[in-house]
Amino acid sequence: MTEMGAAPTTSTEPVTRSVARGAKTIEARGVNLFYGDFQAVEDVTVTIAPNKVTALIGSSGCGKTTFLRSLNRMHELTVGASVKGEITLDGEDIYGAGVDPVQVRRLIGMVFQQPNPFPTMSIYDNVASGLNLNAGRMSKSDKDAVVERSLRGAHLWEEVKDRLDKPGNGLSGGQQQRLCIARAIAVEPEVLLMDEPCSALDPVATLAIEDLIGELKSKYTIAIVTHNMQQAARASDITAFFNLEETGKPGRLVEIGPTEKIFTQPSEQATEDYVSGRFG
Amino acid sequence: MPGASVRVEYQEELANLEASALGGLDLVATALGRTLEAIEHQDVELAQIVVADDDRIDGRYLEVHQSLITLLATQSPVATDLRLISALLHVLKNIERMGDQCVNICKMIPLSGNEPPADEEMVRLILSMGKHARALIGQAQRAFAERSVEMAQDLVRQDDVVDDLNRECFRLALEIGDDADRREWAMTMLLAARAIERIGDNGVDIGEQVAFVVTGLFREFEDASHPSP
Repeated sequence: MTEMGAAPTTSTEPVTRSVARGAKTIEARGVNLFYGDFQAVEDVTVTIAPNKVTALIGSSGCGKTTFLRSLNRMHELTVGASVKGEITLDGEDIYGAGVDPVQVRRLIGMVFQQPNPFPTMSIYDNVASGLNLNAGRMSKSDKDAVVERSLRGAHLWEEVKDRLDKPGNGLSGGQQQRLCIARAIAVEPEVLLMDEPCSALDPVATLAIEDLIGELKSKYTIAIVTHNMQQAARASDITAFFNLEETGKPGRLVEIGPTEKIFTQPSEQATEDYVSGRFG
Repeated sequence: MPGASVRVEYQEELANLEASALGGLDLVATALGRTLEAIEHQDVELAQIVVADDDRIDGRYLEVHQSLITLLATQSPVATDLRLISALLHVLKNIERMGDQCVNICKMIPLSGNEPPADEEMVRLILSMGKHARALIGQAQRAFAERSVEMAQDLVRQDDVVDDLNRECFRLALEIGDDADRREWAMTMLLAARAIERIGDNGVDIGEQVAFVVTGLFREFEDASHPSP
């Protein structure tokens, strides 16, 4: 726990910590996101609480994925994209001068819609890939320990422990997504962002991932974008509804609150219409 | 993940809510037991305790009802889970009504006076009704917990006993005599008997919900508006 207060730019910290650091709070204040001249997201101010699952819902084009990608500085990877406003991780500005975006992405991991294991790499190397990038040299036994812990954490260990040297793309879709989650948690991030992590999976694999998300929140701050409203209802503690007034206008945060409130008694009519399936 | 159980927390939550709802029947059984004691001994203080304690039954109703609504909104329950939640919403209402019937009786106890012109036979009948109704509540609870349609259907037989005793009370009241105080007392006791009779009916309704959970079909065990020939 000694690196608790370490600045995000520190790159020499050990990755084999036996105790995970605490989940951290993300705060966005007045965030505006652009692709060139086009404004995709307008004036979002929101707190993403630690040890909770926050679901971002809203119709296509409402800016929820764009907003999610701004939370670990992936938005700026798109050519012409820009960010205005402030995003902090436990008070530290992740867009501050001198902050290394690669380090931000290590602290704030991302799991994508399509499971994307490195196809030619073994299951073992897929999980260890983040360690290689982040840690430089690590002993084999330390690496073994991290790989096992991460696969166990992603509920995949029992299914793959006898074939760690086989390629990751030999797994089923649900297993591949859990492999990607194992890869994301191997570097012990503080926040996990998930962009429609179940949309390519069958219902049983989806429920398995949702259960896993429910367990991971004890260690991490989790934000998940989903088009599946019932998934937001089932798997999240807090739900944020994004909407846009009309095509071409930027997306805005309409309402955020406890999931049970959003799905039983939302404050805004637009939220009620969306979660009832009346439009969007 | 073959064979692995998923949605464990949701299943636990649903099981806990069922236990909490059915636990409301314990509260009702206690309230009814005290009500009978208050009738037997004209114990006004005990009757007041039953009235005050009904807040606990109402509180249980509100708490479990809200949690079930949240489960419906967030967990999209289907099939048996959906039937169970629907049944629990019914059962909660039955429990709340049974509690209210105890309150109705207990509120009458001061009205019937500290030394009422009681007819021992009628008191005996009402206490017997109450004991049968209390046993019926326990059986409804077990039938639900064990998903036993057979035990649930047997509630009708138990309720027939309560109904017969109720009719017997009515007959006694008709023959209570000309004394105005005694007639007033008998009228009040008839209302009490009626309240206990309703508790029995609510117990049978719980049994019907058991059959719905198990079979998916809802049918009334007893159809008061179309009695069988």
